[in-house]
Amino acid sequence: MTRIRHLAKTNLFGIVILAPAALYLLGFLLIILFKVLELAFTRVSPQGPLFPTAHHFVALSRNPEFRQAFVRTVWFTLIGTPLELIVGLVAALLLVQAFKGRGVIRSLMILPLTIPTIVTAIMLYIMFDFPGGHVNDILMGRHAFFPFQVMSHPVDWRGSGFFALMVSLFGKVWRDMPISMLIILAGLQAIGQDQYEAARTLGASASQRFLRITLPLLTPAMSTVLVLRSVEVWKEFIFPFILAGSYPLLATLIERAYHEWRNPNEASAIALILLALIIVSTILVFHVLKWLRKRLVKV
Amino acid sequence: MKERGTPMARIRASKVLWFMGIILMILVVLVPIFIMFKYAISDRSSVVTGGMPIPLWPYHPTMEQFRGLMSMDAFVRSALTSMKVALLAVMISLVMGTPAAYALVRYRFPGIMVLATLLISVRLFPDIVSVVPIVEIFTKLGLVNTVWGVAMAHALLSTPYVIFIAMGVFETIPKDLDEQAQILGASRFYSFTRIILPVALPGLAAAAIYVFLLSWDEFIFAYFLLAFGGLSTLPVMLQKVLSWTPQHNLLAAISVLLSVPVVIFTFVVQRYMQTGAVAGAVK
Repeated sequence: MTRIRHLAKTNLFGIVILAPAALYLLGFLLIILFKVLELAFTRVSPQGPLFPTAHHFVALSRNPEFRQAFVRTVWFTLIGTPLELIVGLVAALLLVQAFKGRGVIRSLMILPLTIPTIVTAIMLYIMFDFPGGHVNDILMGRHAFFPFQVMSHPVDWRGSGFFALMVSLFGKVWRDMPISMLIILAGLQAIGQDQYEAARTLGASASQRFLRITLPLLTPAMSTVLVLRSVEVWKEFIFPFILAGSYPLLATLIERAYHEWRNPNEASAIALILLALIIVSTILVFHVLKWLRKRLVKV
Repeated sequence: MKERGTPMARIRASKVLWFMGIILMILVVLVPIFIMFKYAISDRSSVVTGGMPIPLWPYHPTMEQFRGLMSMDAFVRSALTSMKVALLAVMISLVMGTPAAYALVRYRFPGIMVLATLLISVRLFPDIVSVVPIVEIFTKLGLVNTVWGVAMAHALLSTPYVIFIAMGVFETIPKDLDEQAQILGASRFYSFTRIILPVALPGLAAAAIYVFLLSWDEFIFAYFLLAFGGLSTLPVMLQKVLSWTPQHNLLAAISVLLSVPVVIFTFVVQRYMQTGAVAGAVK
């Protein structure tokens, strides 16, 4: 008792100035969690609300729109996450060696991060317009600088599920590239040059040096990128919302359920499913990477 | 001679490949940004071409879109709303986050490190999951369609960042400074507000700019909270304008005005942003 009183006394000022932020953040987090659970497991009917019930989850599992969104989201993430890593890795490898004007180019590479996401989405909306957008014009060979006719008819990019989601993915990867690049660049620069020197004297080829030194030593940075990016891709909202309106992912289906179906309960149920997917996939990715790192270090 | 020639050729080939890679990367990064500026200064005839391909450079570059926006009531009001929301979000998250960060750095009572991790990782909670409950709660509190509502939601996103950045700032300030002030008779409150805060100000300014930009860009909370009201922030207005199927040069002009402050400020605080984005990520 006296120990607690002593602790409280010496730390009083600290506790007082810490309280507002802690209460605000953790309080809201608890309220949000409570509310999302309450909404998802409540069924509002003329006879009054029913709680708890798995009604919305059962209804969703039978809803073809939800099923399609679910499948799309899984594909979107399975393609998007590795793509984010690969693009970041390539960008970082291109920029890792010193050359004239590297600082300027590095600053240029950070530009996508500074453009508001909604603006990037709108730019892709304009570029991939149908029938007269720039991408259609160029692929149809209508410009003098690229006189090759790749296709004879314009493509309705936003009118096809596959293309709409690929364009969304392009936007997502374009925007996130600087973050992945900076993390991997920091990882690359942390690898000592002497290791490469030693390998070179022992006669290792460039590809051997890359596969046996760079990649294994880069796994911590790459794991960070994979874990962070997979969460981001799962919950991506703005690009598919603007560019793939007719082909919802789970995140955009939440918006549709809330605004079009006017069903906050079903929207919360979708949100909860998305949250579960994110948590499970993060744990999975984390363990796979840990296992992989162990294997790589042994070799 | 032949044996020496092969590696040389290989080095040259890899140089060329590298150079092409750099050029391609710069192109991919710059093309959407170029398109934005190009459309923003396009005249009507370069956008509505009647089946002809859209020119890569407008026939008659013009500033008329920007002039039009300056006298467009909806745009001016949205810009002002965006500004108010962002400044309010900066205020809320700095007033709460800075003292909290100071306490997390200077005090060592049990469980404080867990608390620090917990507070910072609140940001990892997916925004799209929390948005429906937030709107439901804010509807009850009368915060939907208000500047305060959006600012409070943005503060929820930004306070963890403020705590993270400010902790880094306070860690660079030697502990002796507070101790000496207290030996000289200053209260803890006095030494924090009059001695530590002024020293920390440049770092905190970076945090403030960061929060301002986060709020200025933010779409999801702003959209859900303002979707059916008269109020819009700029990103929400852009989305609302999109649903009128307007001419593309109008969209691009709004986009430019929305992006330019962000691009400028980001390069001003780039050093802080980079350490912020990367610090703690690689370990």
